[in-house]
Amino acid sequence: MAVSFPSTEYFEALRDRMAAEQEKFRRLGFIDTTFGVRVGHNGKTRNFVLEFEVFELKGVREVDAIDPQKVDFTIEGDAGVWREMIENIHRNGEADSSHDINTLAHFGEQLKVVYDSPDGHDKLYRFMESIQRFFDLSSKLDVRFN
Amino acid sequence: MAYLATRNFLEDKDFVDKWLYTMRTGELDLSWMDAKTEKIKPHEANPRRGLTYRDLDLGSYGFTGVPEKVRGNRSYAPRGAELPEGLPDAQPWVSRKSEVWAFNTESYYEEAVSRQWNVTTDIPWERLDGVEMPETIGKALSQLMTFLTEVEMIATDTPALWLPRINPEFVEVKAFIASQAMDEARHTEAFRKRALTTGWGLMKASPMNEMALKHLRDADSFSEMSVALHLVAEGNVLTLFRFSEYLSPTDVDKRIFRLVMQDEARHVGYGMQHFKYVLENFPEKREVVHAHLDEAENISFAGAAATELTESFIILAGGGLKKENIEEGIKVTTRFNLKQMEEHFERLEKCGMPERKERSKLYQMFEMGKAAAEAAGIKLS
Amino acid sequence: MAFYADKDYTQDEASLEAANQVMQGNLSLHWYDANTEKIKGKPADLRRGLTYQDLDIGSYGYSSIPEHVRNSQSMVARGSEKWGKLPDMGYVINRKSEIWSDNVTSLYEEDKARRWTPAVDVPWIELDARPLPAELEAACAQLYTFLQECALVSLDFSSRWVSLVNQDFIEQKSWMCAQMLGWARLNEAFRKRALYGGAGLKRASVAAEQGLKEWLFADTFPQGSFSINLSLGGFVLAVCRQVAAFAPSRVDRALMGYAMQDTARQTAYGYGQLRYFLQHRPLEANAMQEYADETEHVMLALMGNPELLEPLIIIAGGGLEKDQVRNGRIAVSKFIRLVAREYFERIEAAGLEGRSRRSRIPALVDRIEVPA
Repeated sequence: MAVSFPSTEYFEALRDRMAAEQEKFRRLGFIDTTFGVRVGHNGKTRNFVLEFEVFELKGVREVDAIDPQKVDFTIEGDAGVWREMIENIHRNGEADSSHDINTLAHFGEQLKVVYDSPDGHDKLYRFMESIQRFFDLSSKLDVRFN
Repeated sequence: MAYLATRNFLEDKDFVDKWLYTMRTGELDLSWMDAKTEKIKPHEANPRRGLTYRDLDLGSYGFTGVPEKVRGNRSYAPRGAELPEGLPDAQPWVSRKSEVWAFNTESYYEEAVSRQWNVTTDIPWERLDGVEMPETIGKALSQLMTFLTEVEMIATDTPALWLPRINPEFVEVKAFIASQAMDEARHTEAFRKRALTTGWGLMKASPMNEMALKHLRDADSFSEMSVALHLVAEGNVLTLFRFSEYLSPTDVDKRIFRLVMQDEARHVGYGMQHFKYVLENFPEKREVVHAHLDEAENISFAGAAATELTESFIILAGGGLKKENIEEGIKVTTRFNLKQMEEHFERLEKCGMPERKERSKLYQMFEMGKAAAEAAGIKLS
Repeated sequence: MAFYADKDYTQDEASLEAANQVMQGNLSLHWYDANTEKIKGKPADLRRGLTYQDLDIGSYGYSSIPEHVRNSQSMVARGSEKWGKLPDMGYVINRKSEIWSDNVTSLYEEDKARRWTPAVDVPWIELDARPLPAELEAACAQLYTFLQECALVSLDFSSRWVSLVNQDFIEQKSWMCAQMLGWARLNEAFRKRALYGGAGLKRASVAAEQGLKEWLFADTFPQGSFSINLSLGGFVLAVCRQVAAFAPSRVDRALMGYAMQDTARQTAYGYGQLRYFLQHRPLEANAMQEYADETEHVMLALMGNPELLEPLIIIAGGGLEKDQVRNGRIAVSKFIRLVAREYFERIEAAGLEGRSRRSRIPALVDRIEVPA
């Protein structure tokens, strides 16, 4: 069944896949971070907060606005960039080197990482492999774009 | 500051100008492209094992080609790189190959990396829920764990202390020593965590053992340190782990000892291979090591006199404090003590020091103990 | 020998007699009623296992370590009963503020959980299937030569301090051992990458090594940690992110993905340690500012040495053609700004206020021009 992006259903579908591939994520190690995802479209934004704990996505919720004090960092970008990334993942089974989170966010020109605390920001890199492989699970979803 | 770079780069106009010029014009110097270094093409000898340090043992990059006395490189430059004028001296104390090298060093390191385990998640701690050990067993186990945290502490500090003293040319040795320090940190963690889950907490320190163990750290040379740490101390501890696994009151304890045992065996393996290498390549060291062993074997005597350890071991081995438990515990502990000594001399002999027995007070003690045990009907194996 | 045990136990009658008594069944049991706290720790979360945080209880906990650790210089595990004549190990780090960071235990647990193995976790043979053009491979060889120098210095830094840290800070010492293995592993990965590509190693960097030795030989742990964990860790993290973003191969991307996780932990500790230090020793903020004044020139040695700068330009641009070098310079100029921005963000957030205003680095970075 197709899930739409952006939506909590999309992240919940990734969460379920993550749980199904528990062994792979256990091997990558603990992931303890709460971060935001902001998707912009036609001047509006949709905001999600993803809370990872131990080896799992513990919770995801859509919020009106992301409180920077309550997340380690937020990855934000236009819907088109997110769509290109997800479609690329779908085609390749994983993001290619032009479409992984680090590359897209590196200079803040496609995706942008915003944060209050540099310590929170560094968590993106501490857990990068887990976060990337979490998004790479999109390859196993049928994603519809709003 | 203890060291000042040969120039302050913020005040070095030439350096700053060159940097800005490169960025502005794109005129790259590229002289590094012509570095006078070797080009090699390694391959994975065994794809299942991946790319190992042994696969890189080629030409000027290989460990085989490192000379006995390293004179060319005392900096932080990796072995085989071009060394321009002006590199700093890393102040290594150990620049002689036979002082640190062991046959298969690189394999011990690769094994250590691939066999890292995690005390937090690889021990089934949840199985302790509801386990109530008798007080005597619980306290004896806690006392044993308390002692082991002390042992592992010195086994962490000693390799760590020596690592920066080793010339970076011996990169595989430095890597192995780093892996050992981490192994020992995990062992400290395992024993501390186990003590704090018995219900009795940590128990009493072992001063005599500590006093003897300090000697491990303060050796005059890496080789002497290695013989005392890797062969004497860790050899003894390896035997102790094997017996402890056998005596473990729960399957959680058995798992702990099985896991620490494999790390410890790797350290002893390095120690043996290093000692062999020393005896074959640095024969003048033989007498020095003998003298060092005279002191190192003092550890075994101190250990025997440290009653907080021996007694807890007897209780675990015998299963309690009743007379028959104690009698059985003494039999097992006697076998353990003799086994520990026997294996110590076997290792030294295997490394090429069979004459150690003739000189060692510990060996005299072993022979006396063995005779007494046999008279009492206790068999060694 | 620098140290001999207080007795020759082979000759000490009292010790031999004590051992004999025990082996005859006359147990002293002097340890049986140890004067220590009785606890039974449990995992708070079974998925996570039994962590050091779960054992932060009473006299055993790291929370109760005082600022000044006195009367504890031996190998005795924190919380056990001391008695008899214990050795003095000569620790010089005996104040919590000198070494501690609130994230130490979680970083240690995270490190173990997120371990990796360069031999098998990097898809090395992909470089056989898709070799890089010669100039790109040469640039990689130079880059990874430079990174080995950084890794060797970082490896030595943790090692040279571990045995000087009081045993009461056991979680801290364990974390430092994890750092040692982490840098040994990164050094291994960088060396393997350089040599597997076929271009060999290239040239060591005099500027970088001179600077790094100045940082490595800092007089105090907080200063050294500021330099090596926070500044060098943050710098290498940025290099890893940059190379991953412009990765010339899947091998480089995979390797840098793992490397950024490891270096981000170093940086997180460096940040946490500086913050803890300044929170508990506010009067020393000025001395730290002066230390930064003196040693910050090393940041320039790292950013400006041609052994790093030029391969970064080539890798980011994809080659040596004019347009490629121009694109590479644009990317590297952004990289340098990112390095400087994040460096000041971290140290100011840790409590070293006004550093970016006081430092000479921002003005220098502003002078970088890359004409279109």
